[in-house]
Amino acid sequence: MKCSDNIKYLFSHNSVAVIGATPIPNKVSNVIMRNLIDGKYTGKVYPVNPKYEEVLGLKCYKSVLEIKDNVECAIVATPAEFVPKIVEQCGKKKIKGVIVISGGFGEVGNEELEEELKKVAEKYGIALLGPNCLGAFDPYTKIDSIFLPMYKLERPPPGEIAFVTQSGAVGSTIIDMAAHYKVGISKFISYGNAASLNECDYLKFLENDKETKTIILYVEGAKEGRRLFEIMKKVNKKKPIIALKAGKYGKAILAAKSHTGNLAGSYTAYKAAFRQAKVVEAETLEELFDFVRVFNQPLPNGNGVGIVTNGGGMGVLTSDALEINGLVVADFEKSTVEGLAKILPSYGSVNNPLDLIADASAEGYERALNLFITDKNIDILCVILLTQTPPIDERIIGVLTKIKASTSKPMIVIAVGGSYTDKYRRVLEGYGVPTYGYPDSAVKALKKLVEYAEFRRKM
Amino acid sequence: MPLEEFKLLEKYGFKLLPYGLAKSEAEAIAFAKKIGYPIVMKLISSQATHKTDIGGVKVGIKNEITLKLAYNEILENAKAHKIKEIDGILVQKMARKGLELIIGGKKDPQFGHMIILGFGGIYVEVFRDVTARLCPITRVDIREMVTELKSHPLIEGARGNKGINMTALEQMMLRTCKFMEKENVLELDLNPVVFDDSGCDLIDVRFTKVETGKLK
Repeated sequence: MKCSDNIKYLFSHNSVAVIGATPIPNKVSNVIMRNLIDGKYTGKVYPVNPKYEEVLGLKCYKSVLEIKDNVECAIVATPAEFVPKIVEQCGKKKIKGVIVISGGFGEVGNEELEEELKKVAEKYGIALLGPNCLGAFDPYTKIDSIFLPMYKLERPPPGEIAFVTQSGAVGSTIIDMAAHYKVGISKFISYGNAASLNECDYLKFLENDKETKTIILYVEGAKEGRRLFEIMKKVNKKKPIIALKAGKYGKAILAAKSHTGNLAGSYTAYKAAFRQAKVVEAETLEELFDFVRVFNQPLPNGNGVGIVTNGGGMGVLTSDALEINGLVVADFEKSTVEGLAKILPSYGSVNNPLDLIADASAEGYERALNLFITDKNIDILCVILLTQTPPIDERIIGVLTKIKASTSKPMIVIAVGGSYTDKYRRVLEGYGVPTYGYPDSAVKALKKLVEYAEFRRKM
Repeated sequence: MPLEEFKLLEKYGFKLLPYGLAKSEAEAIAFAKKIGYPIVMKLISSQATHKTDIGGVKVGIKNEITLKLAYNEILENAKAHKIKEIDGILVQKMARKGLELIIGGKKDPQFGHMIILGFGGIYVEVFRDVTARLCPITRVDIREMVTELKSHPLIEGARGNKGINMTALEQMMLRTCKFMEKENVLELDLNPVVFDDSGCDLIDVRFTKVETGKLK
């Protein structure tokens, strides 16, 4: 069996051994044990460490070979020098997925040890994640090798976004942001040095992972660029990939003698690969988080946007952003105009953006959005919500989630403001309504959704 | 460019504007007669990479009298800039008036061969208006690349100018990809290629193969 066929065991719901487990607080393997126990891991946890009889109230084993039950996954957090031998034991124990947290391999010039580790994994057909990484987190099975305490790094709820990240630090901060905004995730894969399996293998796995609908890829340097391109091309046709390439502008290419050599560095090749595969490229970490959230929406049939707002200026800013980004402020159909005329106060005017003005309540939004849903010129519902106005209260949450459930058009919310507004953002996001703090970030995300939808329609 | 490389390029359908490297004024006149006026003349020296900046390029030469003047002026300019190693003066058929684009390519260690298209000519590294794709490419890729350039209105036609001949661009780019992949090219510049609505002129080609690593 190929190593990559066993990736699913890295997220085992059944059993996990923590090798190097310790009762000493704040040690990496202690935090991992705590996170598995406090996080309510769905399977059985087996601490392994010859030094202890018991760790956190669980019987501790001298080695994995001592465990009688079948074990599917192991998390290794020991000094690097012991890791190949430990993985060998895992192989003998028929453990199929091994997460190596430990650093001290290729990243510090210890390539030989990393090569040894790779060979052991391949000998036994083990899916090896790492080394030098945060490993895996799955909110469904609650497998969790992220060695950051839960009170410091909140875990996001189960959802549909998978993260594949070369950097643990970047990956974990996105996890934290996702948790803060109640954005659900399906799988978190921090692969570090990628000794055996790399982002290509994980993307291939996620292509058929039933929980995953959208994939985030954070990459610094790929090991198999061409293969990555081919796999992205294939996977992205089924599930949108949002990619962030870091390390874009390294040292100038001194050796380049041609104009082309001077104009096109290695990032040019990544950019070309993303564009050709129609992968959604985020330029910054902020964009990455903004873009991915909009992809839980249905794909729009076009680029016509209907805007409803309770503040005129914010509507104008949003219209500007739409124009700049090549999206269309839709013309309302006649039936919509007639319908809106009935619900607007006498001093309101029927235009897109539709300004319900500051005395609008949830009910006003509901009527307007129901007309937007049936309007053929409108492909996307854009709700600007100034929560600061007196009539806006929790009822708006109910209205917006009801609208979302009753239409196949994508809907986003723009809610600009401070801490009170932020509460609404978090709640709406928790209900699967992408909610943005600025018109510009919302519209940029929408543009990516529209472009991806166009690509899928042309397929 | 040595004859050998030129023959290789011809095999793939690249046609450079007729040219000759003159070592004397008399030779320059002979080339010009063979090629036919108008012509351009360029200083060829390893010491002069930016020929235009030092007055090493003369364009629109219509007859023998101006040729002689230009020939000597180029040599004087070279002397004024302390350029001693002169390979000769390039005499080349004057290109059509049109839009100067760069088509280039390189082999990336991770992704393999890629092709670039950009706003070309002497300002190529000033504007850095380029876009890239991995080889092989399709006509759809080429259309997308064009729209990604900031200068794309010029390609498609603006202010009374007709757009460029898209078929010529497509052929040139598809040919370039094929050439790079088949000959395992490390780096390549077609710069500039001058396009108008009826076709294009290829003025200069430089490339290195992976095995030699030297730019020809």
